[in-house]
Amino acid sequence: MEKFVQLVVDGLSTGSVYAALALAIVLVHSATGLINFAQGGLAVLAAYVAWVLTNQGLPVGLAIVAAILVSFVLGAVVERYLIRRFERGDPDTAVVVTIGLLTLVTGVAGWIWGYNNQQFPSLFPLDTVSLLGVSVSIRSLGTTAVIVVAMVLLQVLFVRTKIGLALRAVAINPQSAAFSGLPVGRLLMVGWGLAAALGAVAGTLVAPQLTLTPGMLDNALVYALAAVILGGLTSPVGVVVAAWIIGVLENLAAVYVGFIGFDLKVAVPFILIFVVLLVRPQGLFGRKTVVRV
Amino acid sequence: MTLLELEGVTAAYGPVQVLEDVSLTVPDGGAVGILGANGAGKTTTLRAISGTVRAGGRIVFDGRDVRGLRPDQVAALGIAHVPEGRGTLGDLTVRENLRVGAYLRKDAKGVERDIDYCLDLFPNLQARIRSNASALSGGEQQMLAVGRAIMSKPRLMLLDEASLGLAPSTAKTVYDAIRRLRVESGIAMLVVEQNANLAFTLVDTAAVLETGRTVLTGTSAELKGMDEIRRAYLGG
Amino acid sequence: MARVLDTPTPSTPPPPARSLRQTPWVRWGAPLLLVAALAVLPLVGTESFNDTLARIGVFAVAVLGLNVVMGYTGQVSLGQIFFLGLGAYVTAYGVQQGWNVVLVFVLACLLPAVAGLLVALAAARLGGLAIAMVTIALPIVGVPLAKRLSEFTGGSQGLSARFTDAPEGSGLYDDQFQLYLVLGIGGVVFLLTACLVRGKYGRAFAIVKDNENVASSMGISPYRYKVLAFTIASLIGGVSGFLYMVVVQYTSPETMSFGHSIELLVAMVIGGAGSIAGSLLGGVFYVVVPDLTNAVDPSLTSLLQGALLLLVLFLLPGGLVSLPRALARRLRRSPAGRGSAAPPTPPSSTPGSATAAERPQTERQGHA
Repeated sequence: MEKFVQLVVDGLSTGSVYAALALAIVLVHSATGLINFAQGGLAVLAAYVAWVLTNQGLPVGLAIVAAILVSFVLGAVVERYLIRRFERGDPDTAVVVTIGLLTLVTGVAGWIWGYNNQQFPSLFPLDTVSLLGVSVSIRSLGTTAVIVVAMVLLQVLFVRTKIGLALRAVAINPQSAAFSGLPVGRLLMVGWGLAAALGAVAGTLVAPQLTLTPGMLDNALVYALAAVILGGLTSPVGVVVAAWIIGVLENLAAVYVGFIGFDLKVAVPFILIFVVLLVRPQGLFGRKTVVRV
Repeated sequence: MTLLELEGVTAAYGPVQVLEDVSLTVPDGGAVGILGANGAGKTTTLRAISGTVRAGGRIVFDGRDVRGLRPDQVAALGIAHVPEGRGTLGDLTVRENLRVGAYLRKDAKGVERDIDYCLDLFPNLQARIRSNASALSGGEQQMLAVGRAIMSKPRLMLLDEASLGLAPSTAKTVYDAIRRLRVESGIAMLVVEQNANLAFTLVDTAAVLETGRTVLTGTSAELKGMDEIRRAYLGG
Repeated sequence: MARVLDTPTPSTPPPPARSLRQTPWVRWGAPLLLVAALAVLPLVGTESFNDTLARIGVFAVAVLGLNVVMGYTGQVSLGQIFFLGLGAYVTAYGVQQGWNVVLVFVLACLLPAVAGLLVALAAARLGGLAIAMVTIALPIVGVPLAKRLSEFTGGSQGLSARFTDAPEGSGLYDDQFQLYLVLGIGGVVFLLTACLVRGKYGRAFAIVKDNENVASSMGISPYRYKVLAFTIASLIGGVSGFLYMVVVQYTSPETMSFGHSIELLVAMVIGGAGSIAGSLLGGVFYVVVPDLTNAVDPSLTSLLQGALLLLVLFLLPGGLVSLPRALARRLRRSPAGRGSAAPPTPPSSTPGSATAAERPQTERQGHA
């Protein structure tokens, strides 16, 4: 039982990381209509930035905040100078652009910091606490908590603030939004910046566990994409729930399903996808024709 | 005093020349109609003004050439474009749509007051204030589109086919409200309208376009008196 | 119908080239000359040259397969390397078991094709970019799977199989024989694919790529043609896996790694999407560029590939294969442009650079 609870909590923690990346992907998709395969790559870059700063003696928390800010700017710059040219064009080309960006970003990280694993200090102590009679790791609880808070803040931003309203308006109909004086281009930059910042939260929180390498989030990206498919591109809530389900299921499958084990657990979300596809082609929560038509 | 002046305006979609030579003026507080057959360039003229289509010639608003500005920059100068097809933001509520219209304003109190004004002008919207815009009827969406334009406190409103797809009685309700708005707010209007009878209830003067050129301008009374105008646009 | 095929890949040569190509002796002579050159080439090249050439052939075939599904049918696939890996494993296993080489070849084609069919049946249901989002899992799942199934795959150690030594009495060196095999099999695959994409199916692919709604209204099921294209791409991937074993004679989970999968896509776009010749250039790029960067600094490979891909997308969206045409167009335009500065349409006489900078913005909104 204790093992089961710990597995579920750990699963929620990694699921939260996938959820943050998946939400970032949904955010970018709603703003600019494309799937950003470089979302994980940008998050890795953020983790390296934080790592460099901690090596300079900055406390981990501050380094992470700085990395989030840097990521926001980087995301905005990428939208303006790289992506804008391909927006509303052929979506397949735009996707290839993001793959090029992924390759470039990975290459930059590898070139500057090498391909060896680096130890990244954890924001949380590595102890366990007793929860309902079973001990669970503080790191897992903390990671989940931070990401949940980040998502709630994002939700508040979108629903309660003027800029959030403007971001939603631009995502729905950029031309019509411009007629009310909304600076569409700048808002798209903000959308990408927010997505990159959210990715940075995920990247810096998961880095201690995965250890830092340029390809650190390749797998997480795959999980996040699976969550996006399962949850439906139009449903942020669905995506988060799907990510948690994936995180928990893969953890349980790794331990309790002999053939899968730890090395093959990455297959779990895709087994799930194939099952769901046969039953509900529009995703678990999404509307019909969720994915670009 | 002239608020908007178009002189020799040209525009093209790719290789297709749509506007050849459009000239018209809108006085401050005035209402001007644009008449013409389908494809004469009425909508494109409005799009050229609001910066959605690149244009040549001269488009001077309040003493300033607005050509080459982005749509949001044009809007910031005080030109509100109510596009053909309404352009309401479907996944936002009625209130949110109105607040988007007020994006450039800083006076929170004034914004609330103007939302109330819109709801008074279009009582149908009052009941739907929390509904998503996509759930509204065509007439309500048109009202919302005009309301959103009001919220930006424009000096000039570009109205494109506000009666399109509406039942005659609904179209009349919309135009009645717009006429009231014109009287109460003094917003100048440039109106594209298929239904010329309806247009003449609102505008003082009109320009007639043919294949991208202004061929005739005159007051409503003058134009209504012309045989060819009656035959072409007023149904006999 | 024929026009539809022309739209996605502007394969019409510039006027001067056309007149040359229409000359009968060039039409028939050039291919013959090419075949003759390819027949002689292995005999005159050095061993390392032949080896490089053979590897180019292997990956040109893999890129060609990717082109069928992505370049011609417009479905982004990030999993092509998986089918190369699968084909290589099937070949290695079959050879180790001592099966007949022809049977091994057939299996190396069929098994990846069946695997591709199964993946496509599910993934193509989602439509759009979901195929990219699902196929990205193939290499990511494939590598640990290959490690796990060690009784067939040799686990992390991998499998080696030597079955392509030059036959006794042929008078050929091994590298020459292997290159002949690659040229022969690869040549046939290229020929068949060229026929495929120029024929009835190719037109259907092009229509699906262009507009799925139009395809449906013409009675072309986008789903069925996407599945078909993906299956063919997987089959061709299997062939490239067989050829990989012919040349490299060793495979491991690393063969189908995520990084290689991305590199294959990069090579395809840089070579030229939706182009047979572009696939060849893609093969050259895949093999030669890492060789070059490894000589300078191995850690630069990924960076350079990413930068090159973005550069090509910005400057030469048709890939390297469109370079001659792009240059010709530029050469033709520049003297004319200098003579009369006025653009052909008067409305663009808006104040110069500022408007030019805003243009993407305006266009973007115009399409919204």
